[in-house]
Amino acid sequence: MKTVLAIENVHKFFKVGFIPKKKEILKGVSFAVAESEIFGYLGPNGAGKTTTLKCILGLIFPDRGKIEIFGQPHLEPRAKERLGFLPENPYFYDYLTAREFLDFYAQLFRVKKNEREDRVASLLNLVGMGRARDLQLRKFSRGMLQRIGLAQALVNEPSLVLLDEPLGGLDPLGRKEIRDIIIRLKAEGKTVFLCSHILQDIEMICDRVAIIVDGKILSQGPLTDLISEKILFTEITLSGLAAKDLAGLGESLSAHGGRTLIKVFHEEKIQEILDLVKNRNAKIHSLIPRTQTLEDLFVEVVKSQ
Amino acid sequence: MRKNLSLILILCLSCLLFMGLKLEIDKVSRQKIPGSSIIYIPSGDYLKMATFGFSSLMADIVYIWAIQYFGNTAIPDKFDHFVHIFSIISELDPRYIDPYEVGALIALYDTKDVALSIKLLDMGFAKNPDLWIFPLEAGHYAQLYKKDFPLAREYYKKAMDVPGAPDIVKRLYANSAFKVMDIKTAWETWLEVYETAKEERVKKIASNHLYNIKATVDIRGLRSVLEKYRAKYGRFPDKLSGIVAAGLLPFIPKDYDNTDYVYDPKTGDVKTAVIPWKR
Amino acid sequence: MTIKVIALNTFKEAVRDRILYLLLFFAALSILVSRILALLTVGDRAKIIKDVGLASISFFGALMAILIGTGLVYKEIEKRTIFTLISKPMRRHEFLLGKFFGLVLTLLVMLALMSVIFLALVFFHTFSVEWKMLLAILYIFIEVILITAVAILFSSFSTPILSSLFSLCFYLIGHFSWSLETLIKKIPAGIFKVLAQIVYTILPDLENFNFKTEVVHGLTIPPQVLLYSAAYGFLYTVFILSLAILVFRRRDFI
Repeated sequence: MKTVLAIENVHKFFKVGFIPKKKEILKGVSFAVAESEIFGYLGPNGAGKTTTLKCILGLIFPDRGKIEIFGQPHLEPRAKERLGFLPENPYFYDYLTAREFLDFYAQLFRVKKNEREDRVASLLNLVGMGRARDLQLRKFSRGMLQRIGLAQALVNEPSLVLLDEPLGGLDPLGRKEIRDIIIRLKAEGKTVFLCSHILQDIEMICDRVAIIVDGKILSQGPLTDLISEKILFTEITLSGLAAKDLAGLGESLSAHGGRTLIKVFHEEKIQEILDLVKNRNAKIHSLIPRTQTLEDLFVEVVKSQ
Repeated sequence: MRKNLSLILILCLSCLLFMGLKLEIDKVSRQKIPGSSIIYIPSGDYLKMATFGFSSLMADIVYIWAIQYFGNTAIPDKFDHFVHIFSIISELDPRYIDPYEVGALIALYDTKDVALSIKLLDMGFAKNPDLWIFPLEAGHYAQLYKKDFPLAREYYKKAMDVPGAPDIVKRLYANSAFKVMDIKTAWETWLEVYETAKEERVKKIASNHLYNIKATVDIRGLRSVLEKYRAKYGRFPDKLSGIVAAGLLPFIPKDYDNTDYVYDPKTGDVKTAVIPWKR
Repeated sequence: MTIKVIALNTFKEAVRDRILYLLLFFAALSILVSRILALLTVGDRAKIIKDVGLASISFFGALMAILIGTGLVYKEIEKRTIFTLISKPMRRHEFLLGKFFGLVLTLLVMLALMSVIFLALVFFHTFSVEWKMLLAILYIFIEVILITAVAILFSSFSTPILSSLFSLCFYLIGHFSWSLETLIKKIPAGIFKVLAQIVYTILPDLENFNFKTEVVHGLTIPPQVLLYSAAYGFLYTVFILSLAILVFRRRDFI
């Protein structure tokens, strides 16, 4: 697997306060992103996610460490040629129309004039902004800005796409659309590096993740490796059994409208409950085994700090 | 770092070059058109409008510039615009005293043209009729440098009339009146000074002057009569009383202190018994 | 090539800035007001019109350069539009130079507009198109270019208000350089004098671009002076821009 992005032992200090005091934001961050994978970069607020991203992009200069993109030092313009970036809460030149905006960025990548028009048109369609092509960006809603930002990140047909909170501020339909686009990018052979808070979406699309807490990478690896398949507990919704009957079998979560929701931790107890239901002629409405989610892992990792 | 090296090189090079150029430009500009900024000096009214209420600051700046300008020996004909420049300062800040006084002084020392200096002082007085210093200085200059007593007298009068003028102005006025032989005014003024004097010293000065005036008038009169006597009798009388005897004068005046004048029959000179200032 | 792209984009951005038109309006106003002022003089009315006109162009040109220039880079950093730009294969100096040339282009257009109004007004009074005025305006433009560079320098690390103040200081120092020269003459010879002279030579002398007097009075200007002044402007601008690029290059965009 070719490594597309490699970060080694990156440190970054900032001088904070009126009497400058050195604050270390990144304390030796190392990870690698392989070709054609969707990589999720997670962490609580202030952990250093955006700082890492800015180091990769050359907006900030790390004090120590090495960053390589496509095997080249990250500040080389040649490396940046194949990069696409969508910042968090994007803000663009609001006096430009969507088409002018994408055209401007295409020019920065030295896309030839005849190619530009086609590419701009196809990008607009890809993100579903075809109708708004002659609308000034100042009139765009948050979701629209997010989409046009994604279009801008793709204007040079990059091999590596870096997205900072691409799903923020979108309605569920919008989120699904963006998720689909990201998956499609992977199918086209592109690599996607994704910072996000929305763990459900990450869990849905990422191949590998890294969790950064307080400037240090605490956990990284393929999602399947990190999240155990072990069943944590089973949630059973049933009716027709009294609370005292279920005592000792699990935790009763709620009981109203005749239905009881019980959380069962031990597998044997499930069988016991099933037998009980059968014997008493009670009814089972649902039986859902819960495995560890990314959220569980995340909370666990963060709490361990 | 390598990128930055070439940039720093450009930085230093461009810096040195423009510094060099600046020195070159300075040389050329100064040679060709010395005092060229003088060509373009708007009148004070415009300048006042342009300074948005910073007119007194502007006055200061122009004044400082003017001092440098007039102190610059390299500029020929710099007094051509003398009055104009100082009138600008006057327009901007009429109450700024120094320019008038110093300007007058500069003009005097450089051009020896008392009239030019006085023009400036006139300007100052016109804008500040409550400041007696201006006509006083004008009178001084007229008296000291031009020995123009009529002019001096005019100015001393002007100064005298300003309420709050010091007593000495009156004395100067009286003195200059005397010098132009305006005996009446001189006498009256010295009398006034004598009567209103608050110090003994001043009283003494006044009385000395009064003595002097009387003596001058008396002596002049006596001398002319003595000449008449000589014309009539071929020689001067032995004693002053001789004139009275000849019927040419009703009586021999005594001096202010009621002492006799000293008479020399051989030359016909009449003098005071004492020097007026050393009574 | 990248510089051109950024420059044109900056031009588009600057041209949409309302401050520009406000200033243009006032510039036109003051040029036309000179007509009224001229009525107050006895004698050559055209002189007043030329004086006020050239002064307005100079003043408002400088003001435009400062007010727009100081916001140019700062806005991009504040609004974070710069993130998407710097992350592109663009060297940082290309960004800065693009901004600079974009603004210079804008100011060229603005000065041209003001010049047209001015020359038209002069024409109404003298019934001749006074092309000589353009010489003074050309050097005003050179001065304005230098001021633009300064504004961009400060804009790359300071807020618009502070940048404007600093740029204004630069402008004032530049126009009072002659007084420093006079002061230096009074200093007794020694290390202080030498230091003062060095400072004097480094500090900008914007009066080198001031040919308003000569042009209005029809005086001849030695071609040496014209050449040297233009070169001075060019070199000082290069100096300031190099400084700006140095500062901008190592800047962390938090």
